Amino acid sequence: MIDLDRYPREIALRNGARLVFRPMDRDDVDRLWNFFGRIPPEDKMFFRQDVGRREVVQHWADTLDYGLVLPILALEGDRVVGDATLHRQKTGWKQGVGVVRVQIAPDYRHLGLGTAMVRELRHLGEKSALRYLMAEVIEEQAAAVRAFEKMGFVRGAAYRDFVNDQAGGLHNLLVLLYPMSYPSDDLDV
Amino acid sequence: MAGTDHHCPHCGAELRGDMRKGGSRHGGAPGCPYDGLAYAALRAGHDAIYFGAWRRIDALPLEIRRGYHGIGRHIDAIGRELAGHDLPAAARDLNEAVKAHRTADPREDAPDVLRLMDNALSYAHRAIDDLLHEKGLPPHQPMDFAEWYDVVEIPFRDEW
Repeated sequence: MIDLDRYPREIALRNGARLVFRPMDRDDVDRLWNFFGRIPPEDKMFFRQDVGRREVVQHWADTLDYGLVLPILALEGDRVVGDATLHRQKTGWKQGVGVVRVQIAPDYRHLGLGTAMVRELRHLGEKSALRYLMAEVIEEQAAAVRAFEKMGFVRGAAYRDFVNDQAGGLHNLLVLLYPMSYPSDDLDV
Repeated sequence: MAGTDHHCPHCGAELRGDMRKGGSRHGGAPGCPYDGLAYAALRAGHDAIYFGAWRRIDALPLEIRRGYHGIGRHIDAIGRELAGHDLPAAARDLNEAVKAHRTADPREDAPDVLRLMDNALSYAHRAIDDLLHEKGLPPHQPMDFAEWYDVVEIPFRDEW
């Protein structure tokens, strides 16, 4: 069980903006739906679900289980400007792997928020007894790839013409992995 | 100590004037740019190496050895700070810095020495940023302090 006592947390960005990180709760449906409404269509093409539909976000809120999906929101006042999720499986062969996804509002990109949210997920992953964090990123999303690599994620695999966008175009998929430290590691410090 | 020369506790610069007010550099420039910032000594320690002579293309072997030992002291300083925190991701980064540093022994004249020293400094930087993140602060940006150093090139900056 991840300790969520650290939330809410105030985070300062490079431009001086002060945001709050906290887990999504059931009252966040409209905030999150509005956030997804401002995501450019070219980014939405790669979403797994149609987040333009409020009922999709409502379903997430109705079925919140932080043990399976832990969504961390970045809020400026009452507005969601970033969403980072840590997906886990409680049983099965991938229970040691946490999947991370991050989405940033267009007007909050290039301010270090994506990096801060990846850093936050990495902290949560380290506290979750996971062996790996995994991120799947379209190769064209160069800034996202850089942010993950900056945090220590390494390219585990690249699949050519592997995923399609909503218009049918094919894109390369990068699988980025972050190996977690666990008690058996020999930490020299 | 007011009115006398002293060394900045963060960046080591020779300062003149009232230590409690930050002092000033010879020539009248304001005192330490890191004064008042979280983890000022770690930031200053990083930047002194980051902008150090060992990274010049024509660096002398002595400058490279100085850089190497500076990285070692910097890693030790971060390790002392991390000892008081439960930040496994930061400890992992610092461990990677230690590994890179140990592999990059400049006495061996290995071709990868500079790359490994760069890696060690980069991992150490990440550990500092982990500490800053825990305080809710943005990452340390060395280029914000470039004017205090003899810097000739500005790296490309692009962050998500």
